Amino acid sequence: MDELVDDFVARRPSGLEHVYALWSRLFFSVARHAIADAARAEDCVHDALLRVWRAPNRFSCTRAMLKAYLVACVRNESLGMLRSEGRRDARELKAARLASVTEVDPPSVDPVETQRLQNALARLPEEQRAALTLAYYGNRTQAQIAKELGVPIGTIKSRISMAIRKLQSDMQPPEGSLS
Amino acid sequence: MNAHIGEDAELYPLGLLDDIAARNVEGHVAVCVECARRVAAAQGVAASLAASLPEATPSPALERRLRDSTMRRISVVRYALAAAVALVVLGLSWQTVLMRQRLAADDVALVTMVHSHFNHVSMNPESANPVAAKILYARDGSWVYIIADKPGGTLHAIARSASGAEDLGGLIRTGETATLLVRPGERIASIVLQRGGTAVAAAKLTY
Repeated sequence: MDELVDDFVARRPSGLEHVYALWSRLFFSVARHAIADAARAEDCVHDALLRVWRAPNRFSCTRAMLKAYLVACVRNESLGMLRSEGRRDARELKAARLASVTEVDPPSVDPVETQRLQNALARLPEEQRAALTLAYYGNRTQAQIAKELGVPIGTIKSRISMAIRKLQSDMQPPEGSLS
Repeated sequence: MNAHIGEDAELYPLGLLDDIAARNVEGHVAVCVECARRVAAAQGVAASLAASLPEATPSPALERRLRDSTMRRISVVRYALAAAVALVVLGLSWQTVLMRQRLAADDVALVTMVHSHFNHVSMNPESANPVAAKILYARDGSWVYIIADKPGGTLHAIARSASGAEDLGGLIRTGETATLLVRPGERIASIVLQRGGTAVAAAKLTY
């Protein structure tokens, strides 16, 4: 197993430190995209990382899989905070949505991967791309997307599911590639 | 095994599921390799989407907070183990001591308890095939720890509070027991354990 994954799974502080050193900006970018306030976005990263690191884990995975899992945890934590705050303050939720939609100018960590993603997004059928864009870049809920696009929630679920699976197959490196 | 999670596998990493559906995914992938692979694949795509977001840098304070939190965990666990030993010296019943020793295996629950004042209540048996279970819960209502002996199948906890009923998720089985630690958003008034949709134990929580 990868030493970093090994340390993280064993709940060694060094494992969490290495994870943070490698991906803290990615995690914070994910949180900041949902939460306008920087301090509360940091709370989300802190709580999500600590919760996973403290839990009795049974990961048997690669470094990339651990990164993807942690990104999902930070995203879920951040949207959870956004929506619980939204229930208390609908105006802030609206502001966060507007901010997130207007800030889609991707300065990427990996330009090759970003280009591959942009190409794959462009190849999606329009209705799938619209649903996925509202969900991910717009931080909308399923119900909100359904209302905006005027289709049932079940249709939204299917469109997003198909979009993710299509992106996955489109973005897979060509056979024989080392990446 | 429950039905596969289907499209929720792709919705989960995007943060599109409510708490109950998300817990269902987490519980299911722990026992279903096929769905775990599907979720992992979707998480990979979600990580690529994350890399396309405007980049932001956290303050140095976040790294310090994380480091402090990891150090605090280590010292708290040491204190917790000392506290468990102290219970023997205080002459509490063996049953209580054994129960607490089992809890010592779960760092998260133990750390939570060390820092709290808590009550406990035995759950009342329900149905012809009940389960023996106990609930430990913080006096301020901030956490609830459910322990079932010989669960006899997957147990699901349903809580009732002022705002209505909430599915707390499935108890996690370890050997002969199953446990669940939850941190509810509001005080839980009562909990029912269900096995296959049938209530098998229930308790009211008083604060």
